[in-house]
Amino acid sequence: MDRRTFLKSATGAGMAAATGGLAMPALAQSPAKTLRFVPQANLANFDPIWGTQYVVRNAAALVWDTLYGIDSKFQPQRQMVETEEVSSDGLTWTFKLRSGLKFHDGTPVTSKDVVASLVRWSARDPMGLMLRAIQVELAPVDELTWKWSLKQPFPKMLLALAKNNAPCSFVMPERIAKTDPFTQITEYIGSGPMKFLRNDWVPGAKAVFEKFADYKPRSEKADWLAGGKNILVDRVEWVIMPDAATAAAALQNGEVDWWETPLADLVPVLKGHKDINVDIGDPLGNVGAFRMNHLFPPFNNLKVRQAVLTALNQEDYMRAVVGDDDKLWKPLPGFFTPGTPLYTEEGGDILKKRNVAEAKKLLAESGYKGEPVVCVVAQDMAATKSMGDVTASLLKSIGMNVDFVATDWGTVGSRRAQKTPPGQGGWSMFHTWHAGADCINPAAYTAIRANGDKAWFGWPDVPAVETEVTNWFNAKDLAEEKAAMGRLNKAAVENVVFAPTGFYLGYQAWRKNVTGVVSGPLPFFWDVKKG
Amino acid sequence: MLSFVVRRIITTIPVMAFVALFVFSLLYIAPGDPAAIIAGDQASPADVERIRASLGLDRPYLVRFAEWSFRVIQGDLGTSIFTNLPVTQLIAQRIEPTLSLMVLTLIFAVVVAVPMGVVAAWKAGSWVDKAAMGFAVLGFSVPVFVVGYLLAYLFALKLDWLPVQGYTPIAQGFWPWLRNLILPAVTLGLVYIALIARITRATMLEVLQQDYVRTAQAKGVAQKDVLFLHSLKNAAVPIVTIIGIGIALLIGGAVVTESVFAIPGLGRLTVDAILRRDYPVIQGVVLMFSLVYVLVNLLIDLTYTLVDPRIRY
Repeated sequence: MDRRTFLKSATGAGMAAATGGLAMPALAQSPAKTLRFVPQANLANFDPIWGTQYVVRNAAALVWDTLYGIDSKFQPQRQMVETEEVSSDGLTWTFKLRSGLKFHDGTPVTSKDVVASLVRWSARDPMGLMLRAIQVELAPVDELTWKWSLKQPFPKMLLALAKNNAPCSFVMPERIAKTDPFTQITEYIGSGPMKFLRNDWVPGAKAVFEKFADYKPRSEKADWLAGGKNILVDRVEWVIMPDAATAAAALQNGEVDWWETPLADLVPVLKGHKDINVDIGDPLGNVGAFRMNHLFPPFNNLKVRQAVLTALNQEDYMRAVVGDDDKLWKPLPGFFTPGTPLYTEEGGDILKKRNVAEAKKLLAESGYKGEPVVCVVAQDMAATKSMGDVTASLLKSIGMNVDFVATDWGTVGSRRAQKTPPGQGGWSMFHTWHAGADCINPAAYTAIRANGDKAWFGWPDVPAVETEVTNWFNAKDLAEEKAAMGRLNKAAVENVVFAPTGFYLGYQAWRKNVTGVVSGPLPFFWDVKKG
Repeated sequence: MLSFVVRRIITTIPVMAFVALFVFSLLYIAPGDPAAIIAGDQASPADVERIRASLGLDRPYLVRFAEWSFRVIQGDLGTSIFTNLPVTQLIAQRIEPTLSLMVLTLIFAVVVAVPMGVVAAWKAGSWVDKAAMGFAVLGFSVPVFVVGYLLAYLFALKLDWLPVQGYTPIAQGFWPWLRNLILPAVTLGLVYIALIARITRATMLEVLQQDYVRTAQAKGVAQKDVLFLHSLKNAAVPIVTIIGIGIALLIGGAVVTESVFAIPGLGRLTVDAILRRDYPVIQGVVLMFSLVYVLVNLLIDLTYTLVDPRIRY
């Protein structure tokens, strides 16, 4: 080969490559029926029972189906179940599956799969644990039927099986569901509307779901997790983007189609773009929380906790979290999600108006001796960082001695479990938030529980709260539920189980060539069309 | 030469052993608990404890270190706590984007910075020199993420020439691969250009004062030959050294660049693992980067013999 021949062939090869002659489509040039979605966080694992992060739950809702699904009126509706029957004494539930349901590996869904899945789920879920505590027997009856016998009635059975709070009672094949609930599963096979393409999964970068051709949707119209889950695209690609500005640019450039949680600061740019829709993502929003340690001074003293509640101005917190957009927050004189059927403000007056003088008086009466308040504040989460800054200022304003520990969420996650005194590796307060979907009633609201040692971090011990939680579980109708919730809210405020810092929402944004996006507690991909 | 290489490779063993011990110990004493992150907010302390036990995190330090070291010696870096995937598989998934980014950045930076430094030295004190050094100061001063956002805004959003984010494997075509990497490589390359250009200029200034340069010029050798054949070759050792040292800069810079351009590389893997306390992944990646760095240094030492025949091992 002479020099001229070599140059010719090299140039030819270079041109072919450069013009894409040798190329496969790039990410931005995927087929039109691929919906590219930027989720709230990285899908780092994919076992919705072992790991209860919301992002896992959201992905799992595509792959695994549930027996019941919650609708937008917060009512449990049949999903995989064809019929259910409860005995007159309320002690025996008999369920029957819809026929023809299949797993992604082609095997039929049977009652054995359901029973194994419920056993695994009930070992991890708060409502599942309640069921286990009163369980006599959970066993298959025939191929499609199973029976759950209890020692005492459990009126919230259908809610437990339908709820969207993690962990949901997803149904897996028996061989997978038999995995210890504290060990990760290694196969991701469900009977949901999409298959998980494990080989395409790059944790931290991408997760891919493909339409499951044999899925048998219900005939009813889709409504949140209920109804027919009709998938109208071939593939859904989750593109993980840790940087909000990059995600915003990618959405504007048409490289992604739908962004679950745009940063509030970037929303005006997106709203101004001709090809992008912006609307509230999850209408159930979030409840901001100032969580106090009830075991040690100063917050083991009720008057100190009340002093903080009296001085707290929720608007300060909410402005710090969401900025100037008034559509994104509401004052919350209580603990439960506004706009939901059981919402109550009973006993919440203390949160309606800030009174610093009264707070200082309460603090003086409490005998507070200047003990340091160890504020463990995660700086890598925008919401906790913003709330932490407001708290430091608030506590100082009423004369408290603030020891501000700026750290990351990973550290907060382990430190908050420490029951040692604040000066010895423990803590006095930390900030977090609770998904509004968890706060519509006490069923999945672990943060409202006040059963001492068994309670959530901070370990409040308030028998009146626990009594009302029990009353709500045993309520026979909506009126009884509402009454119990009112008393529960009052007791929780009076005893300051924790300090709610307000209710806030977030936006979602999607390209205008995508239709069918709805607001909900998680992103619903059914009925979403592209092109 | 061969005995030098063998000697150097043998000396990497204690270095790697120390790095392994250091990283393992650091993570052991660092705050944070992956079990608490896995368990989520609904979990009870008992649940967290059971997860910790199932992951083997409740066992004594020495037992865990011994087990991990034994596996590492066998080439097994362990399994990610979160993804349940082998660390080697996670690294294998991520190595191509990072390697591509680093190689492209290196090529871009060397191609721009070395001539820039040479010309700046040749025209020392002139506006060319001042412009080049001003650019270098800018390269050092402007944070990588700011450069990244500006470039993405201009070339992706405004001009629509290049994509904002992502990575396409080279197996799917050269142009798609290159297209995704141009902006990240330019972004990451700026600081590297600044570093190499400044060192090149300083070294060249010294060389250009040498008698043999004056002799070459007196003999009527063309200026470009004086600069690039006679002078640059003699200035090459410090330049090669700084290029090698700069690899560490690249590794650090890749973390930010990969985040800004959503490139699924090792930098992002490391940051994600640190935030989640995914100990096996952190240990594996740090160990691998240390090995790369040791090998790069060995390569630099060997390169000296190519650019300066007086150096022999």
